[in-house]
Amino acid sequence: DAVLRGTADLDDLLGKDLGALRDIVINANPAQPPLSLLVLHALLCQRFQVLSSVHVHSSVSTVPAPLLSCLGPRHTHSYARHRFQLGFTLIWKDVSKLQMKFSTQNMCPIEGEGNVARFLYRLLGAEPRDPVSATLMDGWVDTALFQLAEGGSKERAAVLRALNAALGRSPWLLGQEFSLADIVSACCVLQTGQTSSAPANVQRWLKSCQNLGYFSCVDPLLQ
Amino acid sequence: MALNLTFNSSNPPLGALLTAEHVKGSVNLSVEEGKDTMLHVSDQVQFSDVNSITRYLARVAPALGLYGSNMMEQTEVDHWLEFSARRLCGQSDLSSALADLDKALALRTFLVGRSVTLADLCIWAALKGNGESQAKPSSHPHLCRWFSFLSSQVPFSSVGSKWASKVSASKAASVEK
Repeated sequence: DAVLRGTADLDDLLGKDLGALRDIVINANPAQPPLSLLVLHALLCQRFQVLSSVHVHSSVSTVPAPLLSCLGPRHTHSYARHRFQLGFTLIWKDVSKLQMKFSTQNMCPIEGEGNVARFLYRLLGAEPRDPVSATLMDGWVDTALFQLAEGGSKERAAVLRALNAALGRSPWLLGQEFSLADIVSACCVLQTGQTSSAPANVQRWLKSCQNLGYFSCVDPLLQ
Repeated sequence: MALNLTFNSSNPPLGALLTAEHVKGSVNLSVEEGKDTMLHVSDQVQFSDVNSITRYLARVAPALGLYGSNMMEQTEVDHWLEFSARRLCGQSDLSSALADLDKALALRTFLVGRSVTLADLCIWAALKGNGESQAKPSSHPHLCRWFSFLSSQVPFSSVGSKWASKVSASKAASVEK
């Protein structure tokens, strides 16, 4: 029943477990909640034991309640960190660009929602092996975040037309398989709040995405 | 099937040309001047933005390791691809971007891992095309070390001497307009 068929082994992907919790720390601005990362968090929780927590940095004064509960109910047994395979720590902070810190000994801080989304998707082991599909997927992620979420009305309309054309040819953006391209693009369409005026294929596809269940976590943030 | 990269010589995409030079021994790829920048993969698939072109070329030549050697390096490469496109290209004030690059290179020979990756190619190309003069050895010692280290090597030197002046000229022309 799993929609993503990848096989992910964290030791294979990240190197041998050295005993400490592998904690993914994300600094995000509450003015631009990273919806795609919440969907990916839901997918990760299905695959791994994830210790999730939300914090508010001192640079931010108040945060709406839905943002505080966006990763689900708080763990009551957080003292047993060794029982978890992954940590997912979301910090609402006044940052100009979303940032992820992970394995800081080996890795530079990663900027940009799309790049963090790509990282989380790789943890699921679901990245397409075929170079064309993988590159098309990366292209849709960039298009959604830079032209749909940030672009003006003309750019937005052009992306919606491109989405509609692609979704007229196949059920998902890459063809028969649901992928990160669908996750990020659907979240950006939902975030623009123009779902009722979107073209027909886009509306049908949004319903298919929402039927998967992983998108229910973003609903409280769209009110 | 052979890949074909076309580009407009009055505004050459340095990052894509540099990546093409790196993979040409491993991939059947022809490069020629044309109207627009476009990587023709098949009649159904063409890529026209530089990040897609470089990603695809790196993926079809996996032995070169241009996309990093594990998922953490891949993610760092993604970070620098976006950095080059968003914070270096088309920006007039590079001071914070150059400071970030200098810091990242303080303890590194290459931006990601222990060999050259798309991160080095695309950041180098963006700086080269943007007039590298903005980076000063006094305030960006690590960035300048890295930049001159790469610039001295083939194919950076050949791509740079052949095309970089064209990029600067096309930028100057667009400013005058």
